[in-house]
Amino acid sequence: MGVISVEHSDRIFWLGRYTERVFTTLKNLEKQYDSMIDDDPMIYMEFLQNFGLDDIYGNMQNFVSSFLFDQNNLHSVAYSLEKAYDNGIVLRENISSKALSFLQLAKDTLNKAFNSQKGLLFSLLPLEDSLFAFWGCINEYIYDDEIITLLMCGKYVERLDLYFRLKYDIKYIKLEFERLCDYLKKVPENTPYRYNAKYLNDLSEIIDIKEKYTDRLNDAVKSLGNLFLK
Amino acid sequence: MRELKNENSLADTPAGNANEINELLRRYGVKFGIYKNGVFNEQFFPFDPIPRVISAEHFAVIEKGLIQRVTALNMFLYDIYHEKRIIKDNIIPEDFIYMSSGYLPQCEGIMPPKNIYSHISGIDLVQGKDGKWYILEDNLRIPSGASYPLIARELTRVASPKIFSDNPIADNRNYASLLKDTLDFSNCGGINAILTPGRCNAAYFEHSYLAELTESVLVQNHELFVENNILYHKTYSGEKNKVGTLYRRISDEYLDPLTFIPQSLIGIPNIMEAYRCGNIAIINAIGNGVADDKGIYYFVPKMIKYYLNEEPMLSNAPTYLPFYEKDKKYILDHIDKLVIKDVSESGGYGVTFGKELSKEKLQEFKSVITNEPRRFIAQEIIDFLELPIMDGEKAVMRKADLRAFVLSGESTRVWSSGLTRFSRNPDSFVVNSSQGGGFKDTWVLSQ
Repeated sequence: MGVISVEHSDRIFWLGRYTERVFTTLKNLEKQYDSMIDDDPMIYMEFLQNFGLDDIYGNMQNFVSSFLFDQNNLHSVAYSLEKAYDNGIVLRENISSKALSFLQLAKDTLNKAFNSQKGLLFSLLPLEDSLFAFWGCINEYIYDDEIITLLMCGKYVERLDLYFRLKYDIKYIKLEFERLCDYLKKVPENTPYRYNAKYLNDLSEIIDIKEKYTDRLNDAVKSLGNLFLK
Repeated sequence: MRELKNENSLADTPAGNANEINELLRRYGVKFGIYKNGVFNEQFFPFDPIPRVISAEHFAVIEKGLIQRVTALNMFLYDIYHEKRIIKDNIIPEDFIYMSSGYLPQCEGIMPPKNIYSHISGIDLVQGKDGKWYILEDNLRIPSGASYPLIARELTRVASPKIFSDNPIADNRNYASLLKDTLDFSNCGGINAILTPGRCNAAYFEHSYLAELTESVLVQNHELFVENNILYHKTYSGEKNKVGTLYRRISDEYLDPLTFIPQSLIGIPNIMEAYRCGNIAIINAIGNGVADDKGIYYFVPKMIKYYLNEEPMLSNAPTYLPFYEKDKKYILDHIDKLVIKDVSESGGYGVTFGKELSKEKLQEFKSVITNEPRRFIAQEIIDFLELPIMDGEKAVMRKADLRAFVLSGESTRVWSSGLTRFSRNPDSFVVNSSQGGGFKDTWVLSQ
C-alpha cells in the first residue's frame, strides 16, 4: 500500500471528477452549439432542465458563453477546470509535472478561445487535446496503481452522474458502469473510497432495468452519491 | 568570464527563444507566491533567458571555498550546541551567540543524525568588478531557489538545444539526485518526506517539484504525528509509515508548538522529542539560525581558521560590527559610504544605504546604532558586477548575485549551477524575488 493520506485521496478523487466534468460538459456544449447552427436555437433549454436549472440566459449564445467561460457559473467548463487545477497543483509529485502542465495548457486554451475571433468549435479543439494528453500522462507516468484507481473512480463516477442526468442511452450507461466497477474493486478495504455494497447493488439493479433506468433517475443519482463508505 | 562559443546565431540562444522558454515555464507552473497588503498572489517568476556563465576555473575556486566554509559552519554548529570551545577560546564573544535569535537553547546537547547540521546550504555571493567573488550571506535554515534554475535548464534545453551541444556546459539536472542522496544519507529508517506549510507558501512550487523529483512524500503537518517518539505519516487506510527524514520547509519556531511558538498551526507536536531521541533526521537541523545570523557572518573567516586551521578561500564583504568600539567609530564616521543591515531581518528587508539618508535621518540612525550595537552590521558597498538582462527587445545591465547550493551528506558537494537573482530596478542592489527581482540560470562551464 502506498503513502496516500486522506487529504490526498480526496484531492486525487476530485481531480478525476472535475477533469471528467470539464470533458463531458465540453462535449455536450459542443453538441448543443453544433445543433444551433441549423436546428432549434432553444435546444439548450433541455440541457438546463436535465440539471434542474432555470433559463437565465435568454438565448443559446449567452448560454454557451456562460457554460464555457464564466468562472462564477458552478456548472461551467471554466469553473470545473479551475477546480481540477486546484486539486492538481497540490498533487504534482503524485501525477507528474507533465500531467499538470496539460491542465495549465487547458486553462490557457480556454482563455484563448474566449478571446478568439475564430469559430468557437475550432478554438476549443486544443482544449480536448489537452485533456486527452492529461489522461495519457496519467497512464504513462503514474506507476502507483492506487493513485490511478482513485483517479479513475472519480472520473467514472462523474461520467455516470452526468450521463444519468443527461439521459444517455442505456448502452453507454452500462459500459461506463462496468468500467467504474473494475476500478471500484481495486480500492483497498478500510479506505474512504472503498465502495458501499448496498448502494453498489442498488445501482446495479437500476441499470439492469434496461431502457427504464430513467424512471428511477433520482435513485440512481442518489446511489451514486452514496457509493463510498466515507 | 564568458567563454561561450560565439558562432551561435541568436536563434540558437536562449535569448533568441525567450518567448518559447517563458511559455514553457508558464505551462509548468513555475510560480512563487507573495503576500502584499495581506493578500496572497501567485505569480510567474520573471525569468531572464541570458544565463550567467561561470568559467570552470572560477567555479573550481568557488567550489573549494564553499566546501571549506560549509564544513566550518557545520563544525561551528556542533560546537555551539555542545562544547562551545569557540566561545571559551575567545574567538567569538558569547553575546553574539546567546543574543542571536537563531540560537535555540532547546537544541543544547542534541546530536543530529550523522552529525550534519546544514545539509542544504544556500550561500549568496557576488562578483566584484575586479572579478573576485565575495560571500554576502550564508543561508543555513531553509535556503530556497534551486528548483528554478533546475527546471529552467530542462526547458531551455528543449527550446535552444544547439547551444548546449556546442558548448561544454555542466549539466545541472543532477540536483535531484544530489538532494536525494543527502536525504537518504541521514535517514533514520523510514520514508523521506518534505513538509510544506501548503499551497499559499511563497515557495510551494519548489516544495512540490522537489518532492516529485526526489520521490519524497509531500506532506502537511496534519498528516504527521509523533507516537513513542517516532514520527509517522498517516495514510488513508489508517496505516502509519515511519518517517526517516523530514525535509521541512517551515521555520524552527513553528515546527513544534510544544517546544516553540504554542500558537503554531503548521507544526507537529512532540517532533522535538523524536528529534532528540535520534529517530528522525530533520533537514536542515533545528537551531541553525545561530550560524547564519548576520552578526555571526563576521566571524566565519575566524571559524575557518579556528576549526580547519586554513586560510579562508573566499572572502566576506568587508564588514564592521558596531559591537566593537573601533568598528563603531569607523561606522559612524563613514556611514554615508556603508550599507547597514539589521541582523534580525532577511529577504532584502532591513537594508539601509547610508548615502540614501537625509542628514536628519542619518543622525537618527547613528543614535540607533549607538544604542543597539548588536542589532546591526555595516559593510562596504561592493561595486559588484552587473549582468545583461533582456528588457523587451534590448539588453540592459543590472546588479545580480548568485546563490550557490552546497549539499552535505556522505560528502560535501557543490551543485554546478545556482540561482542567479537580479534586480529589475537599474538603481537597486536588492535582488530578492519578494522585492520584484527575477532569476537567471547559471551555466558552469565544464572545461
